Amino acid sequence: MRITEHPILSFKGKKPVVFFYNGQQLVGKEGDTIASALHAAGVKMLSESIHLKRPRGFYCAIGNCASCNMVVNGEPNVRTCITPLEANMDVRMQEGKGRV
Amino acid sequence: MKNKADVVIIGGGISGVSIAYNLAKMGVKDIVLIERDYLTSGATGRCGAGVRQQWGTKANCMLAKKSVEFFENAQEILEYDGDIEFKQEGYLIVGTTEEEAEQFRKNVALQQSLDIPARMLTKEEAKAIVPHLNTDVVHTATYCPTDGHLNPFTMTDAYYKAAKRHGVEVYTYTEVQDIIVKNDTVEAVVTNKGTIETPVVVNAAGGWAKEIGTMAGVDIPVFSRNHQILVTEPIEKIQGPMVISFSHNIYCQQTPHGAFIMGRGDKDATIGHDTHSTWQFLDRMAKTVTTLLPPVGDLRVIRQWGGLYNMSPDSQPIIGGTDAVKGFYMACGFSGHGFMLAPMTGLLLSELITGKTPSMPMDDLTLSRFDGKTIETKETSVV
Repeated sequence: MRITEHPILSFKGKKPVVFFYNGQQLVGKEGDTIASALHAAGVKMLSESIHLKRPRGFYCAIGNCASCNMVVNGEPNVRTCITPLEANMDVRMQEGKGRV
Repeated sequence: MKNKADVVIIGGGISGVSIAYNLAKMGVKDIVLIERDYLTSGATGRCGAGVRQQWGTKANCMLAKKSVEFFENAQEILEYDGDIEFKQEGYLIVGTTEEEAEQFRKNVALQQSLDIPARMLTKEEAKAIVPHLNTDVVHTATYCPTDGHLNPFTMTDAYYKAAKRHGVEVYTYTEVQDIIVKNDTVEAVVTNKGTIETPVVVNAAGGWAKEIGTMAGVDIPVFSRNHQILVTEPIEKIQGPMVISFSHNIYCQQTPHGAFIMGRGDKDATIGHDTHSTWQFLDRMAKTVTTLLPPVGDLRVIRQWGGLYNMSPDSQPIIGGTDAVKGFYMACGFSGHGFMLAPMTGLLLSELITGKTPSMPMDDLTLSRFDGKTIETKETSVV
């Protein structure tokens, strides 16, 4: 789901950005955050609740909650909603509270 | 509010609720506990929550050892429905110089003579216990596996609920304004919500212990100073023991929740009741922890805060009464360690108030030990 037409903004000319989600290759767009790229690719579950393991998705989208915390390039608890997508990023679902 | 009581305890921290519980259990009726804000609002709710028996003075060792024995069974003894979260995975004390190692050896010899299972470790042995320890900045270490840390909020709640069941009345958001003393004897406590006649007042006011003493005309040689702490986001468990260093100036534990709590002393902090947090603390704390425990540096800081150490001249607590004013008792001057010693504070003070023989020698804990004497025994193992 992406906005293609907008009265003021233009989305033309954004280059594709290849990255990996749980080892699977996905393609986002230049200017995406990790979470927006995942969302556009149909990945709605970003983490799971710590105690009951319920699915957690895009929530605050401004880096305040922990709903989108994922392991990025091996680093746990990355707030994917405010972290810009980069080519070849390794993005993974996090188990529990993360490991350093 | 009651206008008469057998005992009025001032201070709703861990010491106050422990004293209340112990007195009630010994059969004292009509106990009132007064707290200016809410329970744990002072040093208890701000503390690093460590429980260690590795001390440099006999009195501190004995207080701590018997307190640990209580914490081990507190859940059952107090019939608490929550979890006090006692994580008994030891304290690792790391030193940086041979001089410090020499002090460690003396301390461990004292601790072992009192049946505290502490021992010296090489830095390699220390790393086996805390794998993320940077041994480049460690000379030697001591370790006691029965030390640990617990939750100050649930522990206070456990004492509070047990005390309530024994009939203790607790008045929060009630401020003590004066203590009326006549013929060198306590007569009443004046609060902003009324006056309570009582023959016994217990000063468990933590950072405000000196001011409470002044109200009763007792000069207590203690002062308060701000100490700061920070807490990080939680991660899966990587650290069992509390890691502490006097020379690096840090203590750092991982709570059962997964967050790291760490603090350090600041000799430049002004004496008084200021509990602000500063960027200087954050800066120094971050540098210290990333040096000693590097992976912890990857974590985000959630918040920081300050709380008061109530310092005594020898860094040992003052527990007991005074000949100057009959009926006035003190549990103060814990010098940053009131939380971990609270079980014994409550027991000893209750024994003294009810005329029983105390469970351990009190000579090093009396107020009168400071009367015109030079201090010979001083606790130096303090962050």
